Amino acid sequence: MKSTLALIRTTAGTSPVATALGLAVLAGLFLFPSFVKSPYTLHIMILFFLSTIQGEAWNIIGGYTGQYSIGHVAYFGAGAYTTMILMQYKQIPPWYGMLAGIGVALVVSLIIGSICFRLQGPYFVLASIAVAEIMRLSAINLKDITNGAEGILITEIPVFKIGNTVVTDFLSKVPFYYVGLVITLVTILVTWMVQNSKLGYYFQAIREDQDAAHSLGISLPLYKNIALALSAVFTSLSGSFYAIYIGYIDPSTVLNLDISVQIVLVCIIGGIGTIWGPVIGAMVLVPLSEALRSDLIAGMIFKTGLTSEGSAIGTFLKENLAHAHALIYGILVVVVILFMPDGVLGWVKKLTVQKGRG
Amino acid sequence: MATILEIKHVSKFFGGLAANSDVSFSLEEGMIMGMIGPNGAGKTTLFNCITGYYPPSRGEVIFKAQKISGLEPDRICRLGMVRTWQKVRPLAKLSVIDNVMVGALCRTNSLKTARELAMEQLKVVRMENKPDFPAGGLPIGEQKKLEVARALATQPQLLLLDEVMGGLNPAESDEIIQLILEIKKGGGITQMVIEHDMKAIMRISDRIVVINSGEKLAEGTPQEIVNNPEVVRAYLGDFHA
Repeated sequence: MKSTLALIRTTAGTSPVATALGLAVLAGLFLFPSFVKSPYTLHIMILFFLSTIQGEAWNIIGGYTGQYSIGHVAYFGAGAYTTMILMQYKQIPPWYGMLAGIGVALVVSLIIGSICFRLQGPYFVLASIAVAEIMRLSAINLKDITNGAEGILITEIPVFKIGNTVVTDFLSKVPFYYVGLVITLVTILVTWMVQNSKLGYYFQAIREDQDAAHSLGISLPLYKNIALALSAVFTSLSGSFYAIYIGYIDPSTVLNLDISVQIVLVCIIGGIGTIWGPVIGAMVLVPLSEALRSDLIAGMIFKTGLTSEGSAIGTFLKENLAHAHALIYGILVVVVILFMPDGVLGWVKKLTVQKGRG
Repeated sequence: MATILEIKHVSKFFGGLAANSDVSFSLEEGMIMGMIGPNGAGKTTLFNCITGYYPPSRGEVIFKAQKISGLEPDRICRLGMVRTWQKVRPLAKLSVIDNVMVGALCRTNSLKTARELAMEQLKVVRMENKPDFPAGGLPIGEQKKLEVARALATQPQLLLLDEVMGGLNPAESDEIIQLILEIKKGGGITQMVIEHDMKAIMRISDRIVVINSGEKLAEGTPQEIVNNPEVVRAYLGDFHA
């Protein structure tokens, strides 16, 4: 049995098979849109990227530093709103808007951090939710800036040019696919760099024992705020990206507490405090939520013949299963916590270790 | 010999309760100061006041001619004073070497240097054979040694050990005693040790302070302390004095 850090240290870069496999997956991801033309599949992939970025970002503050923020939608919304407001009212192209969104999220995170990090444990969790709710209510009520509950709709994204060369006009899903992929890779890379630096050690020390960390020369407010700021930057990026991709935002979609919960779920299900946990979590959650949305599960139940579409139960299932995602997520979390407390990734690792022994 | 730590009239109140009242003493460089006293006498509270976990209600703490009372523990650690915990606080999910590296990173930003420094300290406590073992899975004796290694890795001038021998068997205690004496012999590190094991504290201490009901009852060499009737009374009651 080895600790996580040691395990990662021994697996990082040493095995040529793993490196080759990684490169193959990377190449596959970059070539994916040349083979798969279905917009729906690309859409699912983009949602997967979004989920992964959010999960990795949350993982820095929640997984590594152990500060369970359930208000991450605040940074997501900050990114989404900043980008959309600048594009709609100031005609600033979204790639600059993304940077502005990062700036806003940083400021928000430092304000939230300097206030909420006075609290510990469950009190910090509650405070983080409260701040996100304040953001949502502000977005509803500051109608002059945010257009209130009506939200902001954009119909056209400016053409992205370098010099006079048109790089992309954002008319298909393919450019979004690549933007999502690149942000995802950068997020994973940054997480990896954090883990293999002084920051990573300090973050984990704070997670394991705050008082011990404090006695070893670690400034708690400083390093907690660094972790939160890093996390906010990438969460905000995902928010900006989401807003441009969907083209419409309102307080109940981009500042909804559901998003915060979903971000945390990605990590819990995949494996908290690991680089690949959020990736795995997104792989599980995104297809699941799509299956629920598209009545796939009800359809499967009808096919097995357990009940027919016309029966009372069938009608009930068909009408309600698509809306039951919260229930299904709940069940999923219970299952994960009971049977794989270290997430899917931890569970798989444990299985392979046991196999290696037996 | 220069004074490294001066505790001046330190009091700590929790509401109306005085956990420490008007405690004063000082430490010379290179010495081992033992601190004894019955359970609940306020020894750990005093440690917490010195290392920044509580600000003293009254009085001040001077370390290397600088007032440190009121500073945060991390600042105090970087100034060169570090403590261990009576109830061990391993970074459970991290490995042994990573625990010590967290201490070493106090003085360096490079993981490589930190790893080398950490390995040195693991050799000092004779745990270099299991660097990758998760700290949470160690037996108590080794967790205590890990605490010491992690504290030493911050390169302190003053080391405060809070009952490092508590809960250890005689062989393990003996190993810790040797370790404390070796640290002294190495020079450069002054130590203050809270301990209940009288035999151990008499053996290692140059001077001893006795704390009782939050107040300093006596201070002196081990010989003076065992012959002090007030100390005997505090420990054994009036009948024996």
